[in-house]
Amino acid sequence: MSHVDDGTLHAYLDAELSPVQSQDVEAHIAQCPGCRDRLEEERALIARADELLGLAAPPDRATPPFRPGDPEPPVRLWWRVRLPLAWAATVVLALGAGMYFGPRALQREQPAVDQRTGDLAAKSTLPPAAAPENGATSRAAPLPVRRTRAPAATSAVVERKSGAKDKSMEAVVADRASTAEAARPETAVALRARDERAAGALQQPVPRPALAPSPVRADQERAPAVAGMVGQYALTGSPVTLDSARALLGTDPYAVPDLPVRGIYRARLIGYSAVVVVKQALDSSTAIDVITGRQATLSLQAVVVTGAARSDTAQPAERALLGRAAAAPDSLAAAERRAEAAPVRARGAAANRPATALVFEVRGPLSPDSLAALQRRLQPLRP
Amino acid sequence: MPDDLADVYRTTYRALVRFLYRKVWDAERAEDLAQEAFARALVHKPAHARGWLFVVAANMARDDARRAARERRHLTLLKSEPPASAPPSDEALHTEGERSQVRTALEQLTPRDREVLLLWDSGLSYDEIATQTGLARGAIGTTLARARRRLVEAFEAGRTGEHVARG
Repeated sequence: MSHVDDGTLHAYLDAELSPVQSQDVEAHIAQCPGCRDRLEEERALIARADELLGLAAPPDRATPPFRPGDPEPPVRLWWRVRLPLAWAATVVLALGAGMYFGPRALQREQPAVDQRTGDLAAKSTLPPAAAPENGATSRAAPLPVRRTRAPAATSAVVERKSGAKDKSMEAVVADRASTAEAARPETAVALRARDERAAGALQQPVPRPALAPSPVRADQERAPAVAGMVGQYALTGSPVTLDSARALLGTDPYAVPDLPVRGIYRARLIGYSAVVVVKQALDSSTAIDVITGRQATLSLQAVVVTGAARSDTAQPAERALLGRAAAAPDSLAAAERRAEAAPVRARGAAANRPATALVFEVRGPLSPDSLAALQRRLQPLRP
Repeated sequence: MPDDLADVYRTTYRALVRFLYRKVWDAERAEDLAQEAFARALVHKPAHARGWLFVVAANMARDDARRAARERRHLTLLKSEPPASAPPSDEALHTEGERSQVRTALEQLTPRDREVLLLWDSGLSYDEIATQTGLARGAIGTTLARARRRLVEAFEAGRTGEHVARG
């Protein structure tokens, strides 16, 4: 083999030769002192060149996180969460329609019984001061009445078979929920008065002891607004005018008087048919959101709890049926019925429909005390 | 960022900054350009991200050098006084002196030799360098041998010249 050229020596030292080529080079160097010397020279040259390049290196800094040119918008926009919410809404509609129509039909049949059951509940959960006005009527032997109603609810009408099953299970849960509520302070119960109104309505026809909600609802229908809103709202990003906000809510949105209004936005929140956010500047660097929401007829909480309850009462196979096949036709039928009933209910809203409960809340980078203080100052926003 | 590009970023970012630094001689600028190259990779999704990044970085550095040269011409007209700042320490001066000597030495290499040397120093293999520069793979060793020798010679020559001038 002829002598090894510089390029091959460098490639050898850079470990960029194939194994065969490397063996050739090593074989030659082993028997050629001249090339062996050159190999060492080139090795020193490479080391020196690397050293020099090292002198001309940038300061060794930590690798920063990747910064893309156009970062994702930080806000999770409404249309990004729309698909999952659409599924949730379907479930809410399906179950909700069942809850709404089932009990109503039964209520029409037996209004007097409902009244009495509710009174019984009042007696069992409310302090004595609240009870006396109902006390006399509630003694009219509620138990036999419920016993006679039990078969009616379970055997039910054929067309509502699956719906009735749903309802009885929901009622079980509603019972639990309301028991839990009863243990909480009255104000906390008030927050969910609307939810329990729905739950309370369906507890009455089924053969389970009805508890707290009914009496609470009686108070709540007179209370126009309750404080505290559960859950996170998502801004649509589109500002609305005060008039639009008023049309959405059916009343004036709330705001802190004397603070400049930066903007009024429509927002979405599960369990609310309309949510309006009024952004107000507290000072040059702090802004607060005043949220006025109108609660929807149904709340997601009721649906979620309902699903959980089925594990107690339904067989797995049954549950699958209820969850998928059985629920589908029911939901469609329910949606139709709901659509038909909508105008009627809209007219009825002018009366004292409990769905008109308004909820408002102040949010912002402030202490809970400050937020509470601001909340106490809230007034309807007028032009 | 796709996973593979995230990996490339983790393994190649410093090398790309190093590569760019020897072209623009400004650490901040080199990092900005490296970030920009990765941002472009995110959009273009090249099949061979690593090699692609060095091509893009080399192009950006060239454009940047042209722009910088243009700006320098304007600045020399405007700048009459040196910027008022704390005098650098001896050590810093020494490091800075060596850096500028290496820079001067590098600039005496032919563009092709310099490119191959800088790509190798940035961690690219002979194959990658061949793809990048259009040279035959077998020529990379020879080019590198020449580039290294010239770099060392130019550096030593610069030093000797400095000593002679001082002496």
